[in-house]
Amino acid sequence: MVPQSPSKAAGAAALGYWRHHAVRGLVFVALLAVLALLVVHPLGWIVFNSLHDDDTGRWTLNNYGQILRSASLIAPLLNSLLLATAVAVLSTLIGVPLAWLVARTDLPGRGLIRVLTLAAFVTPSFIGALGWILLAAPNSGWLNVGWRWITGAENALLDIYTMAGTVFVCAIYTVPYTFTMVSSALEEMPVELEDAATTLGSGLLRTMRSVTIPLVMPAVLVSFILSFIQGMTLFGVPAFLLTPGGTLVVTTKLAEFYQLFPPALFLSAAYCMPLIAITGALFYARRRILGRRQFTTIGGKGRAGRRIRLGGWRVPALAFALIVPMTAVILPYIAIVLVSLSRAWGRGPVPSNLTFHWYRWAIIENGETQRAIVNSLLYAGLAASFCMLIGILVAYIVERRLVRGASLIAALVTIPIIIPGIVLSVGFFSAYTRPPLNFYGTATIIIAAFVATFLPIAYSQAGSILKGISPDLERAARSVGASEGRTFASITVPLMRGGLVAGWLLVFIPIMRELSVAIFLVSPKTNVMTTLIYNYKDGGNYEAVCAASTLLLFGTLLVVLLARVVAEGTAKRRRNATSLGAAT
Amino acid sequence: MTMLNRRHVLMAGAAGLVATAWRISPASAADDVLYAAAKKEGALNLYWGSYEQKTIEDIRDAFKAKYPGIEVNLLRQASQTVYTRLRLEIQNDAVQCDSLGTTNLLHYQELKKINAIQAFEPSNAGMLPAAFRTLDPDNTYHVGAISLTTINQSSKVTEPPKSWQALLDAPWAGKITTGSPAYSGDVASWVVAIRKKYGDDYLKAFAKQKPKVGQSNVDTVTDILSGERTVGSGAPFSYSLAQKVAGNPIDVTIPEDDAILNLGLTAVPTKAPHPNAGKLFTDFLYSVEVSQILSRNFWPTLRTDVPWAEGRTLESVKWYRNPVDNLAAEVAEGIAKWKEYIV
Repeated sequence: MVPQSPSKAAGAAALGYWRHHAVRGLVFVALLAVLALLVVHPLGWIVFNSLHDDDTGRWTLNNYGQILRSASLIAPLLNSLLLATAVAVLSTLIGVPLAWLVARTDLPGRGLIRVLTLAAFVTPSFIGALGWILLAAPNSGWLNVGWRWITGAENALLDIYTMAGTVFVCAIYTVPYTFTMVSSALEEMPVELEDAATTLGSGLLRTMRSVTIPLVMPAVLVSFILSFIQGMTLFGVPAFLLTPGGTLVVTTKLAEFYQLFPPALFLSAAYCMPLIAITGALFYARRRILGRRQFTTIGGKGRAGRRIRLGGWRVPALAFALIVPMTAVILPYIAIVLVSLSRAWGRGPVPSNLTFHWYRWAIIENGETQRAIVNSLLYAGLAASFCMLIGILVAYIVERRLVRGASLIAALVTIPIIIPGIVLSVGFFSAYTRPPLNFYGTATIIIAAFVATFLPIAYSQAGSILKGISPDLERAARSVGASEGRTFASITVPLMRGGLVAGWLLVFIPIMRELSVAIFLVSPKTNVMTTLIYNYKDGGNYEAVCAASTLLLFGTLLVVLLARVVAEGTAKRRRNATSLGAAT
Repeated sequence: MTMLNRRHVLMAGAAGLVATAWRISPASAADDVLYAAAKKEGALNLYWGSYEQKTIEDIRDAFKAKYPGIEVNLLRQASQTVYTRLRLEIQNDAVQCDSLGTTNLLHYQELKKINAIQAFEPSNAGMLPAAFRTLDPDNTYHVGAISLTTINQSSKVTEPPKSWQALLDAPWAGKITTGSPAYSGDVASWVVAIRKKYGDDYLKAFAKQKPKVGQSNVDTVTDILSGERTVGSGAPFSYSLAQKVAGNPIDVTIPEDDAILNLGLTAVPTKAPHPNAGKLFTDFLYSVEVSQILSRNFWPTLRTDVPWAEGRTLESVKWYRNPVDNLAAEVAEGIAKWKEYIV
């Protein structure tokens, strides 16, 4: 080895320093550019639109004035707040214990419950609402008919056309957010901490209260906020279940704006601004609650896979764990599959009415459906991957405070999800149908809109995993000379992997069922499943709707299972590697 | 046995070819010129909200069969959605639409005002019902669909209400389902028409019947088939009939005090990228083939020489169409009154 002269060594160090900063700078600038294109530009158009008059096209503040002045515009906002809060509370109350049961106990049928809970996530909400109308409409709902038959009662047992009914249906389809986020946090958590508490003599409940719950708090809070947002932005369920009672929420009111003549696009844009303020306040509250507390749970050590024995609680726990699979998947899908196998669903499930026609039609005969299935899978896969990539980078920069103003970026990426899809659709349209950035009619514009919409989920999931990973490991790598990029790629990402697969699914699935953000962006060649399903619903062809939805469910489930296989494979390799390390 | 099978297939194929050739009428001379021009343009972008997915797909396929060499892209979304999209395209000077087909006259009055649709005379409008032949004296928009709003009822109802007035009778309290004029153009037309006929008293009495109000009037069929309600008001005629023929326990009643007729319209945008193809499609809409497709899908046909399904014709049905002047204001007022009295 030739000894280096001091000046040469200094030069190399300077070069390394320079290169390190150049790479960091480049990544950062590229990320900012992407966020500017994906988020700032379309949002800018929405704000711009909100300041213009729908009739004359002139600058005005009148849209905001109208919202403040008119009681008929305030009421839907309040109803949405009520709905969203109730949905968030209910899905937390169901989702968190469910996640604990599946992730940490010896509950029977855990794998099945996990898959079925994710299946609830796949179901487009209007399909879920339709299923529940068939089940619990006051006169004709099967559950009510059964109840009257058994008890001889006059009145209905359930009325789905109420706020309570709507909250319930929204919540069971929102639980998967909470479930996935909290269970992935629980799975990454080392049991030593709980063991320590137990050793010190605290019982199960005390351990939960003082160790387990505080450790999963970041995931619980994030999923509470996402459930709240979900409650704010769902359209299908309130459209079906609240409209008959005359109760309007923000999304159904927006649908009215779009039906006006001329369509009140600019007023709609203004109408979204209070939603951004509310969501901003929620994220701010989260930061205040979590503060700078440390939640590092993933250290250098592996974790044991020991599970808590439920003993005599197994049966009641199983009953509880089956709430979501039963109410969100099994019961409604019995109804939906029966309809999809009918020649004419009004005739009911009798043998002469049975046909596979709609499946044959959807899979083999109809070119439109085939193209839409391929498009949906392709766009959702690409968009979910981009989304996770950007989400991880943003989360890394924010959590590790790599640059000043990082929290501003965090705030930025969380805005699109609260904006109802139809308004975001117009924003993307305005932004990307004129030169030099004309992507109209291409797949790019749809994928970009999907990425922007679901970026907050990717970012939140990545963020709550990162909160659990001790920066010590990264520092160790850096201290032995690894660059920031190398550290990120070979330490941080592998540690995050299990959670990332969950995160990818959390983005992939809602994209598969997203309807409204695509509405002004799809072209005949880039049509997706949900726009097609909505058209068949529009034409009242429920047999086709149900067949297509069932296919959508199985297609997505297949992807979910594949992802689980990949995730489990990775986890196993990681465990093996750890134990190997321990042996040597 | 194999031979026989093959011969059968061949014969059936030949018969099919003959039938197709017979059904597709030879193109006229004017048609030839337009076809040549359209073929040169190479593509046709349809933005259609009139007709549900299946019917408009059938029409598209027939067009493709008759005019090979033109790539047809069909964007089928709700009327207001395709109209909103065209407006956005016009604002951004990025018009992609060659043929707009929606159910709302107001769309066309507005587009005409800003010179966004072009004047032309369809070459084979001769067999259109006389009342709908010249809707716009300047020929910027033309009839694209005829839609009727009627009563529909469950097959279990042996004596359905015979008129809009009869819906207000005691037996129908708590039994009625309908759509909302704030979401459905057809229901909005119905509200305007019913207020013209009977004034706001009708709406007040209708509210006392405690109707279940969904969004689209297609929801009436859902309620009837599921058994939640038994009678639909402001209900879609063609769609209910299609469900009946598919085997569902539902039927339609054309009210004695008139079915409400709402015209779907069509136009070619001024800046359409393939204007000749757009015009060719309008011509094609008025062909015998399309009216036969419409009849098969239970839509009123666009030609007087092709009867509707179940042997009905425009003459055999008692119908009423709202006057077109001041329609925007009347729709807005109708929705406001509906919200005041009903939900």
